[in-house]
Amino acid sequence: MADVDAAVKEAVVEALALDDDEVTPDSTLMDDLGAESIDLLDILFRIEKSTGVKIEASDLGDYIQGGIPDDEFSDSNEVITAKGAEQLAKVMPQVNASDIEGSLKAEEVITLFTVGNLTEMVKARADGAG
Amino acid sequence: MAPADVRLRVGVDIVGVKRLEAVVGNDLARQEAVFTPTELEYCRGKRRAFEHLAARFAAKEAVLKAFGTGVSQRMRWTDVEVVNDRRGRPLVRLDGAVARFAERHGLRSIDVSLSHTNDLALAHVLTVWAGAEQECAST
Repeated sequence: MADVDAAVKEAVVEALALDDDEVTPDSTLMDDLGAESIDLLDILFRIEKSTGVKIEASDLGDYIQGGIPDDEFSDSNEVITAKGAEQLAKVMPQVNASDIEGSLKAEEVITLFTVGNLTEMVKARADGAG
Repeated sequence: MAPADVRLRVGVDIVGVKRLEAVVGNDLARQEAVFTPTELEYCRGKRRAFEHLAARFAAKEAVLKAFGTGVSQRMRWTDVEVVNDRRGRPLVRLDGAVARFAERHGLRSIDVSLSHTNDLALAHVLTVWAGAEQECAST
């Protein structure tokens, strides 16, 4: 299999038509790099082609949510619960659970997802753990 | 003005036709990851198939914008489907995680309008939800 770090970076650079040095593991895909839904689709297809690891849009949410049911991950106002925040800190280590618990909306989670988070997800899927 | 016991939410999205064609192309697996069999059958019968597919992709994103979820929920692209009635009018069908979200939050009605040119495809979605507005911006 191709080197996953390099494959993910290459996919992001090419899908978003960026320069190599604009993409770092800490770059958030949507806020920092400006990815839209179709870009995300492009990135995932490129990763599949280069690594053989297939990731669908729904897999992103599954990975982030880690099997926690929707109504336990966020409350009735779609705000992340303590349990949800704890899970997010596991798969997105740059996130501090206490900073987001009770304030971050579920719909905003994807805006915090970084190139490094995606790389780790691809590695986990490649290992059969994701 | 909407009745007092409902909320209106709109979503709009615009997609480059050539970009969609470049991303999905004629790869069947990619097409099926994004579009339902009904959508693919409808669009393949059209002279400018990728304009129609791009409009449907825009509709999927516009629905999620109207829902306020974007791609953050555990949705599949095929959970939002655009079908056409006998007069050709587009209608939205929901499935899977998106349908569950709609039910949980009281979606009453959804309507979509599509438009496309050689270059761009646009979708505009209007949703009606149970429950009164909680906030209103003023000028």
